[in-house]
Amino acid sequence: MSKQLVIEGSLQRARFKLELDLRIDLSDALGIMGATGAGKTTLLRVIAGLERDFFGRVEFCGDLWHDGNQFDQVPTHQRGLGVVFQDSRLLPGRTVASNLAFAMRRAPTVDAKLTCETLTEALDLNHLLTEPAEMLSGGERQRAALARALLARPRLLLLDEPLSANDADHRQQLIARLAEWLPAEDISLVYVSHAANELAQLTRQLIVLEQGAVMARGETELLLDAPSALRNRAVKPMTAVVTAMDSVCGTTTLQLADEHHGVVGALALGERVVLQREVADASGLGASLQPEPEKNQD
Amino acid sequence: MLGDLQAVLLTALLAGTTTLLLVPIASPLAWWLARSASPSRSFIEAVVAMPLVLPPTVLGFYLLIMLNPESVVGGLWVELTGDSLTFSFSGLVIASVIYSLPFMVQPLQAAFRAVPESVLEAAATLGASPRDRWLNVVLPMAKRGYLTGCVLTFAHTVGEFGVVLMMGGNIPGETRVLSIAIYEHVETLNYDAAHMLALGLLFFSFLSLWLVYRYAGHRFEVVRG
Repeated sequence: MSKQLVIEGSLQRARFKLELDLRIDLSDALGIMGATGAGKTTLLRVIAGLERDFFGRVEFCGDLWHDGNQFDQVPTHQRGLGVVFQDSRLLPGRTVASNLAFAMRRAPTVDAKLTCETLTEALDLNHLLTEPAEMLSGGERQRAALARALLARPRLLLLDEPLSANDADHRQQLIARLAEWLPAEDISLVYVSHAANELAQLTRQLIVLEQGAVMARGETELLLDAPSALRNRAVKPMTAVVTAMDSVCGTTTLQLADEHHGVVGALALGERVVLQREVADASGLGASLQPEPEKNQD
Repeated sequence: MLGDLQAVLLTALLAGTTTLLLVPIASPLAWWLARSASPSRSFIEAVVAMPLVLPPTVLGFYLLIMLNPESVVGGLWVELTGDSLTFSFSGLVIASVIYSLPFMVQPLQAAFRAVPESVLEAAATLGASPRDRWLNVVLPMAKRGYLTGCVLTFAHTVGEFGVVLMMGGNIPGETRVLSIAIYEHVETLNYDAAHMLALGLLFFSFLSLWLVYRYAGHRFEVVRG
């Protein structure tokens, strides 16, 4: 079954605009990268149905979740989500156990191999179960929130820097466990992080956001290999259309104005992608925006 | 003596009924006041707070005008129940509900405002419907607000005098509440009886406030289940 996620539309804030035109097959986990304020969290909130100002459409697996300004065409609580927010958001005044129970009581009955016991064990929560949420450290809170999100038995797991407050050892362990659990439980993943190594381990495809727009998109490995090409460069966005695709070599031909360019990476035929043309010399006065040979396909 | 006992019971009945009625009335109102960004919010807030600053006689006077059998509302009530809203217990209940409204709304509003939107969002992502969120997230977090609101409403209704006098008079077993009974004892120079009731009221008021500060002042407590 196709796990296509469609996000088309825009969200306008006083000093920020998110503009998206994405069709992504979430059979492979998706990573989202970008500087602070690039719109990563807002994008997750749009998917979760928490942004009533987003105008456009959001679809997942063929279900229309958000239509025009009907942000709750399918309301958040019916989307089958698991979300870990940056700030964890455990329910206050409840113990860790009670937070987990809150998710379990509302979860759909699925044939899940991942039990509560496995989770609390793996996430090192067993000694914290009777603690009130308020008494936990930042890292503990994040792990409890992750366990809770998984116990909601989601179809789609949205993780926003979910491990940032944990030490490197814990992080490594948890990433490895997630990489093993999620495919086994058939849970689609969208993972927001600054950490390239986490993205590389967990995701196959990556989106780089900048100022509310998709600045680069492609296979995680390819994009992470050329990080310098994506950041700190003066670039000019241009829209190109995919005109040919060679699935054997994994290359794509893009038409940009009347030029054709071959790029590495598979894209759907007819899809429109935004390319970043590097500007040769952005500092010089009267720089003539001469494009360099196209390399980064975004 | 028997009359005084009757006054005590009547007062407790009035305060209890008022409190019970105000919980469902004030909850949605306080929720709206706590969460709405509507421009009419401050207007409604001011209307709700009016009884705090208005002399009870003014409120009682207007209620008398609005609820007397010659008026639209009062007339309708007579048609429906055969009973008058002035100089009757039902009239006192209506007056008390209006008079004590801010004492229930304001603690609830503060409690609801303290429930962060972020927590409600998290609950929604865990599959909790709006109703479910309200019952299982908001309510447990606002229970101290409810305790405060109920105690203050009850105590404030017990202490009501001006409004009752204006539109209820002094009918034993019907509208003769504690404060009126004390007033009458003093008027008839029956200081011993007045003392007994006044002292009782004094202790009751202290006890209610102490209860509020004692149990509503906890930093947090754990919700089980």
